[in-house]
Amino acid sequence: MSQFQRFLAKRLAISIGLTLIAVSVIFVVLRLLPGSPFEALVTSGNLNQQQINEIRALYGLDQPMWRQYIDYMVSILTFQFGYSILRSQPVWDVLEPRLVNTLILLVPALVTTAILSSALGMYAGWNRGSLLEKSSIITTTFLRSTPVFITAIFFIIVFAYNLELVPAFGMRSVTASPEGYVDTFLSIDFLHHYLLPFTVAVLYYSGDFLLLARNGIVEKRGSEFLKLHKAKGLTEMQQLARAGRNSMLPILTYFALRLGMIFQGLILLEVVFGWPGIGRELVLAIQQQDYPLVQAAVFIMALAVIIANLAADVLYAYFDPTVSTGGGSSA
Amino acid sequence: MSTETKPKGQLYKQFDRVRGIIRDQFEFLRQDRLATIGIIVVAVFVFLGLFGPALAPHDPIEHDVRNDDGQILRLAEPSGEAVMGTTAFGKDVLSQFLAGAQPTFIVGLFGGIGTGAIGFLIGLVSGYYGGWVDELLMRLTDLTFSLPFMPMALLLLTFVTPNIWLMTAIIAGFLWKMPARVVRSEVLSVRERTFVKSARASGASDLRTMLYHVAPNVLPIGFLYTAYGVAWAIAAQASLAFLGFGDPTMTSWGRMLRQVFESGNMRVAWWWVAPPAIGIAAITTSVFLIGRAYEEVINPEIQTEQ
Repeated sequence: MSQFQRFLAKRLAISIGLTLIAVSVIFVVLRLLPGSPFEALVTSGNLNQQQINEIRALYGLDQPMWRQYIDYMVSILTFQFGYSILRSQPVWDVLEPRLVNTLILLVPALVTTAILSSALGMYAGWNRGSLLEKSSIITTTFLRSTPVFITAIFFIIVFAYNLELVPAFGMRSVTASPEGYVDTFLSIDFLHHYLLPFTVAVLYYSGDFLLLARNGIVEKRGSEFLKLHKAKGLTEMQQLARAGRNSMLPILTYFALRLGMIFQGLILLEVVFGWPGIGRELVLAIQQQDYPLVQAAVFIMALAVIIANLAADVLYAYFDPTVSTGGGSSA
Repeated sequence: MSTETKPKGQLYKQFDRVRGIIRDQFEFLRQDRLATIGIIVVAVFVFLGLFGPALAPHDPIEHDVRNDDGQILRLAEPSGEAVMGTTAFGKDVLSQFLAGAQPTFIVGLFGGIGTGAIGFLIGLVSGYYGGWVDELLMRLTDLTFSLPFMPMALLLLTFVTPNIWLMTAIIAGFLWKMPARVVRSEVLSVRERTFVKSARASGASDLRTMLYHVAPNVLPIGFLYTAYGVAWAIAAQASLAFLGFGDPTMTSWGRMLRQVFESGNMRVAWWWVAPPAIGIAAITTSVFLIGRAYEEVINPEIQTEQ
């Protein structure tokens, strides 16, 4: 086994271990919660004791704790998420469209901002001390440090309420009732609702990429290989392109990490814009104590981050020869 | 008498030294205009956090603003009775804004310090000892990265009545991972330096070497991340309050925004939205601007000024 394969095997084992622990933590937290969704049903007076017992048995809640734990581990790791208690629908049928809605909003936003703000950041770093550098840093510092719901509220007030360019809420007009994903997402109405949350998401993510790219270029600025390129007679832009290529790796890994976190949705963005994504659904499920939905959603989010982490580590080790694949710690 | 003056003299010297350090820091921050603005905003915020509730002209929750005829003023624009207008429930926005600074301040300050302190210690121990200690602590960091912060915090807050200290603890309990990673990688490079090795060679214990020789050299980055921690904690607190998981007995800026959002008055009541929204945005941005001014100095890799 080569050193890289050993490294890969080790990271893979760690990721699997992490998944198991994360899933167990979710179990412990959820079972610690007092009250159960059935109490709401019982107090509403629609069920008698026998029916309650039947439903408890159906969900396995009458079993001893260790038994519940094993059942839970087996089913969640085989992606059988069970039935949502309050929506009486398979959990996956509830989550899948929400997850798609989130991804369709955030993946294009992340890709857009990764390209645009990295390019801008590199240019700003090359022209260090310029007005462009300073103003782009203030703007993105504001955008990345302010909680996203506040930026969203500012944008809604300006563009939806005052200029009335775009709607402030939801993913489609009340009257629209499209069938299937293609019909839903390929319409002017959807685009109309999409613009504002998309813009806010792009701006929110932009700060980290911009600073990362800028710092990367500033580091490279005085290095020997650039002096060589300069001596060769390359133009400023060509030199910048060489420096940029050499500072891509941190941006790429950061992109991988962010991509994993996208599965969590931007909860606050989704809430403010009324976007029916996975984050907003999870908040509703927590408020209604819908265990199966909550555990499945948190599991998907955790798994996505773990996989993205693994991908980022492997990317780094593969592309950067100075990272030792022999050692275990490549945080 | 002489026994007393000597330590006193030393105390003064110590005091002067500290004052010198603080003055140097202010001198440094004054050179960066953005950081200067940041310092002013932070100073105002600290003042509001300490004295805001005392300055509030009315009780933020109990008091109803009335006009001369004794009618409750709901959603009133700024006027003589209420300088910054009233909410949909007839409460004084100015009072809510002043009183609401306090929980934001407390969670921000202690959440930030907690984040910085835990992260610093874990990063220090992990980086210094290496081996299985490092492995264990870094896997713990990975775990806190993989569990989504906001949903986990919401879950924890559903089964305990939220209060600001619990929120502070939850926030610090999740955010320490950021400084931990950065401090650890700093420690890894400091550990290999000659003065650390010579301290070990001359017989200093691990604990002593770590605390007296390694720790002071990574302290700046620890402080930097404590500052960022403050901004993160404020943002997290505001977000949780906005989702309705804040301390129900206290007015905070996040809660004000929740109420205006929930009541559907965002379209009209700009005087109700603006103060808390601008307050939160200003303080988080300012903390980051100050932090960034330091980062330019601390981070050796971006110091290649030409």
